[in-house]
Amino acid sequence: MGSSSQSLAQLEAARGLALGDGRYYPTIIPGVLPIIGVNANATLEVQRWGADFLAETFASPTWAPDVKASSALTVLPTLHEFVEATDASIVKSAIQAAACIYPLVYRHIISDPNDKQSWQIMSTIKSSILRRMDSAIPGVRICCVKFVQQVVLVQTPGQTADPRRQDPNDISLSHVPRDHPLIPYANLEAEASGLLDRLLDTLHSDYSDALLVTATLNTLGALIQRRPVIANKILNSVLNFNPLKLANSPMTPKNKVLIRSLERTTRALLVNVLKRNPESSVNVRIQQYLERMHRMRVDAFDEASRKRPAPVEPTDGLDTAKRQRLGATLPPTKEPTYPPLPPGPVSYRQLYTLDPTASTANFDVQIFQDRDQLVRILVSVLHSIDETKLNNAVNAVRARYNTYLQDASRHAAPPNITAAVDEEEEYEPDFEPEDAEQVINRLDSVGPDEIARRALPEATIAPYKLPDAPPLTEQEVQRYGEETIRRAFSMLSAMEEPPAKTKVPKGGFNRLAASNFDRDSWITIMSRLATRAPSGLDDPEEGIKAEYGRIAKRGSFALAEAIRDGLYNYIMYDWKRRLDLAISWLNEEWYNDRLHAEAAEKNFRSVSNGKGSSRPDIRGNYKKCALRLLDGLVAYIEGTDKVLVRFMSEIPEIDREILQRMKRMAEDPERIELAILVLQYLYMFRPPVRSICVDVLEDMWRTNDRAKPSARKFLIKWRPEVLQSENEVKMESTNGTLEVKPVS
Amino acid sequence: MSLDPRRRPPTQQAQQQQPPIPVPPPPPPPVAIAPAPAPVPTSTTPPKTDALPDTSFKLKFCTVCASNQNRSMEAHLQLASANLPTISFGTGSLVRLPGPTIDRPNVYHFNSTTYRAIHQELAAQDQRLYTANGLLNMLGRNLSIKSYPERFQDWIPGKPRLDHAEDQGAKGTESGVVDVIITCEERCFDAVLEDLHNKGGKLNRPVHVFNVDIKDNHEEALIGGKAIRDLALTLNEAAAKEREIHGNEGWNVGGGKARMGFDEKVPDILAEWQQRWPNLPALWSLAWF
Repeated sequence: MGSSSQSLAQLEAARGLALGDGRYYPTIIPGVLPIIGVNANATLEVQRWGADFLAETFASPTWAPDVKASSALTVLPTLHEFVEATDASIVKSAIQAAACIYPLVYRHIISDPNDKQSWQIMSTIKSSILRRMDSAIPGVRICCVKFVQQVVLVQTPGQTADPRRQDPNDISLSHVPRDHPLIPYANLEAEASGLLDRLLDTLHSDYSDALLVTATLNTLGALIQRRPVIANKILNSVLNFNPLKLANSPMTPKNKVLIRSLERTTRALLVNVLKRNPESSVNVRIQQYLERMHRMRVDAFDEASRKRPAPVEPTDGLDTAKRQRLGATLPPTKEPTYPPLPPGPVSYRQLYTLDPTASTANFDVQIFQDRDQLVRILVSVLHSIDETKLNNAVNAVRARYNTYLQDASRHAAPPNITAAVDEEEEYEPDFEPEDAEQVINRLDSVGPDEIARRALPEATIAPYKLPDAPPLTEQEVQRYGEETIRRAFSMLSAMEEPPAKTKVPKGGFNRLAASNFDRDSWITIMSRLATRAPSGLDDPEEGIKAEYGRIAKRGSFALAEAIRDGLYNYIMYDWKRRLDLAISWLNEEWYNDRLHAEAAEKNFRSVSNGKGSSRPDIRGNYKKCALRLLDGLVAYIEGTDKVLVRFMSEIPEIDREILQRMKRMAEDPERIELAILVLQYLYMFRPPVRSICVDVLEDMWRTNDRAKPSARKFLIKWRPEVLQSENEVKMESTNGTLEVKPVS
Repeated sequence: MSLDPRRRPPTQQAQQQQPPIPVPPPPPPPVAIAPAPAPVPTSTTPPKTDALPDTSFKLKFCTVCASNQNRSMEAHLQLASANLPTISFGTGSLVRLPGPTIDRPNVYHFNSTTYRAIHQELAAQDQRLYTANGLLNMLGRNLSIKSYPERFQDWIPGKPRLDHAEDQGAKGTESGVVDVIITCEERCFDAVLEDLHNKGGKLNRPVHVFNVDIKDNHEEALIGGKAIRDLALTLNEAAAKEREIHGNEGWNVGGGKARMGFDEKVPDILAEWQQRWPNLPALWSLAWF
């Protein structure tokens, strides 16, 4: 034992040297090998140390693979002895070392096809490891799995078929010449394919061996990444793997941890595949798989935490996928209880509303304007109705109806009730709905005539009348009115502006105003509300009216004014696009004024019989509104806004006062042209106002120096005499000044 | 092993906080501890009854959390105190520590910023705040364990760690590989598995990866550290037993459970551990370096 610890100390010193600098490995290995070998009568401790050392040495990243390869050939015999050893930890380390060495020897054989001996030993080691793969203890088997992964890795074609573009350190089947004498390409490929199948089989053979399964899963990542040829095969296998299969067995603490661990390991592998290859076509499937696993895990663990575990039941050993089938049927769910009808007369609605607190009780079907939509909803609702629930509900209603009938008959006509019924009732508590069957039986036993006779007089349900609302005060009327107007306008602004391009078919004379609920029709409605609704209320005998009437009228007028304000604001808010609305509004105003005027005329004639001295003074709203709009517009209009021309030409009536606004506008030098354009247009296309136009133009010409040149052009055509008089005036004035000058 | 870890924190914390509280001095340089890496400073060690003798067989451990500051370092300390070979890492992209407000964390680079430097910077920034929230205390502990936070993804397994010889628990980890990785958060567990996939398993060496879900605060880290120590000692015991049995040709003789190797026992060990520590949900996987 003493010599053992002594040699261990020596070995450890050598190892320390190599750890310090990887370049010492090639010189240290030959010194170590004779000490650790089985033939050297080494103790178990020293052998273990040797196996660990070999694994560590050939895994070490501190020395170059080329150097490793030549050292690897020298350790093969020792490694062979270790692989055949009985001690598990020696075998484990030896297999790890073999997994590192296999690619090195493999590459050596590719470049040196004559080294038959080395390949012979390596092959023996390989077959020894593969033999152990199914029989050894799990700790060794996982190392076998890793070895197999290495074999598959090097015996499968690499990422690119072109040998020139390959990573020299990524040893793969692509490096093997097709005619290699020692390692025939086809054999290697076939072996790799077979080994991969064995590897993937571990995923599907025994789920309970989480050690082997996670070890395998964790080796697959490198294969998927570095060997695209087999990536799909591996992924398919992984995607068919169900890490939650253990969830079907009893939820012992161990199984719980294992299920979560298996799921998490699978997930880590797949997420890694996703991340490394974000564009792959398999990714959709991977995503779906991950989501499904997540849901299943949540299900499995939620249930496990909330409920008792499923009863342990022997499933037949043939099919593990068979679902557990439990004999017991569901316990009948407690029937919901329904509140009794309120005493007194009830409506059908109350009768059928089993749960007055539910939101559906307040649901009004009439809100569906679209009948098709309603039908669609109804059909699907009818489909989804649970039949037993429906039957229960029908029975409950039936029972209620029956109770109601009995109550009603008892209250309405006590003498009619037979003693038997009375007795029966005493057995039943009032609020307990009768058993449906009893009700049906009873209903069956009475003849149809009797039901009709009993039902008709007793079931009359008193019509319900809404109490009249208290009369509104004047202020309230005003307030509610304004609120309504505000809401109408807010709705109007919320409504989409009509798309400019669409050609709306004009109805011509057959058109009905405000029939298609678009913006225009709402404007029509609003303007008519403002104009027609209160019209005629301000009859000429205003002064003599009673106090009460006057107040009422004032309210309506104020309302009309509020609407006009709203219209005005609405138009001014986006006047360029809403000018057409302004025109139609003004048309309504004008038309209303006309109607009003005619009515007043008739009234005046009939009253005064043509003898009256003074005609009633009709103060129309049109002019007021037109001026207000125009004043508002002029503030914003620019010299290029031709819409003004359209506005001025389309408003129904133009008088001097309105046109004076053009003159005012022309005081702004930039808008002179526009003003003159308006006047010119009106002159040409509205003959009735021609003279007013020229008057205004003349006025402009006289008072506005800047407008003179433009105005002159038209005045020459329209009223040349003015220009003449101007010349005279000019001459006079020049003369005057000339004369005056010397005096001053 | 104390079965009620919650009873220990007060005394433990009092002991731990003693040095930094009066004046948070730059805690003792690690050199002071270095001469004796295996025995651990008395002030921070839990009762050493379960610490292993130097000569016995030992698994090598690695603890991992997000920033290699709180949970992994507490566990590192616990395992090193039990005389187990231990290294530790963080899986985050940067070391993140709480700052003056939640949106202004203190951020440092892995592998280059020492615990000492962070301690000095925070002490200069706001002595009172970082004393009150325990950061200075924690950093003081960390710099006595090893010199700087390391990032798991930058770790090259198999690369010798002779330059870490002065870290606590360094003995046995010279070759730069471990048998067991214990993460403290599911995110880190995923990151570790993913990184091992990326590294490609070139060493062909199996590693048991565990996750023990621990909330990231000082109290939970302490409890979690004890739980991890419990897990590690149980695992180590099983692994040592395997070598004994199989050593004397024993594994042909025994039967049933006695014949089971260490690796296959791991799920059972974890399940039993999970029942002892039901509030720290665990995960496990066998991965490859």
